[in-house]
Amino acid sequence: MTTIPESLKAPLTELLLSTADDKFLLGHRNADWTGLGPILEEDIAFSSIAQDEIAHAEVLYQFIHTQLGGAKPDDLAYGREPREYRCAALVELGDEFDWSRAIVRQFFCDHFDAVRLGRLAASSWPTLAVLAGRLLAEERAHVQHADTWIVRLGRGTPESHDRMQRAIDALWPDTGSLFEAVWGEGLLEPSGVYPRGDERMSVTWHRSIAERAGEAGLTVPASVPKQKQPGGRAGQHTPQFEELLAELCEVYRVEPKAAW
Amino acid sequence: MVTEAEILDVLRTIPDPELPIGIVDLGIVHNIDVADRGSPNPGVPGVRMPEQTGVPVECDVSIEILPTFVGCPALRVIEEQVASKVGQLAGVGSVRIGIVYDPPWSVERISPAGRQALAELGVTVPLPSGERLVSLGVQRRDAATPAACPFCGSTQTELESAFGPTRCKMIYYCSACGNPFEHLRRLT
Repeated sequence: MTTIPESLKAPLTELLLSTADDKFLLGHRNADWTGLGPILEEDIAFSSIAQDEIAHAEVLYQFIHTQLGGAKPDDLAYGREPREYRCAALVELGDEFDWSRAIVRQFFCDHFDAVRLGRLAASSWPTLAVLAGRLLAEERAHVQHADTWIVRLGRGTPESHDRMQRAIDALWPDTGSLFEAVWGEGLLEPSGVYPRGDERMSVTWHRSIAERAGEAGLTVPASVPKQKQPGGRAGQHTPQFEELLAELCEVYRVEPKAAW
Repeated sequence: MVTEAEILDVLRTIPDPELPIGIVDLGIVHNIDVADRGSPNPGVPGVRMPEQTGVPVECDVSIEILPTFVGCPALRVIEEQVASKVGQLAGVGSVRIGIVYDPPWSVERISPAGRQALAELGVTVPLPSGERLVSLGVQRRDAATPAACPFCGSTQTELESAFGPTRCKMIYYCSACGNPFEHLRRLT
């Protein structure tokens, strides 16, 4: 297809907002570590990844604006009410500056992003597929980065192993939030705009997570928890989300009309 | 009327803000299009009036730029530079800059002169696909072989961090001469 049918613009906007919002919030969480990374190279790497995530969010907001008739990128990023954001609970969770939690959260989110971008890169709408393909190529470097840490710390000292296992156990219940269906997703699948894979996303994700964890001597539960109530994809966020968003939007809200 | 070659000459004078080479050598200029206006049309908003420049507006220029990385923060600076410098050419009305991702930019697009300039400043570039690095009689593919050190030429180098000072660079360390250096990242 060369253009996107009008009827699919709203569902695709929801899907791309969830993708962009995940990246935007995760990038913001990662940026907390700038200057505090465990070693200098990692400080640079994690800051660089934060920059990637926020840049990815920005081009997706831009895409929603120019291709789907959405609001301007800055207004999408900073100008919405909390219930209008579509990010998953997992990216909203704080890490209390515990590196094991930060890197396990990253590990879960990067693998999920790679699966989701893979579906978008296979879109029947070339304009979307081309952009998603570029994002995916960059995302693969994030996956590799997270995998390296999982294996290094999982097989490191008994203390590093235990802390990684505790972080996995603590964050696992929220992994289901990534897979909560986005409104209108079912409408995008038949046209191939967001094609279904051969298996459910959670199956693909779980396999790669379990493989890497196994290599690291860590264990993950046998299945991904189901998101029972409406969550982030439906605008229902964690208790800490409003505070996090207020911090992120503080400067914008001083003067929303200011040009930067 | 201004020609594509003249525009390219102007673009050659624009440096990349994060790398010590020009944007043309970096290979991010994809397409230049000059549209003849036919007759001067001073009524279009944003177009300079003939009396301001002394030359009637003859054409509109559109230029496609391929970002090295999605949302590269240097892009805005590059866009401003391109719009300003090309816009100063006699007879040019508007300059439209499109950011496109297809074809994707890759390290293969860097010119030989660009590679040389980068190497002189200690930044190495993955070899073009298919080319092999010859070292100690063993031919190894680029992917499996770390970059040769730009300072001493040794291939006894290792990846220190996949993320460097800018989004397009990685940090390598040369075990032979003890220097760190930067290597451009290849996206596949």
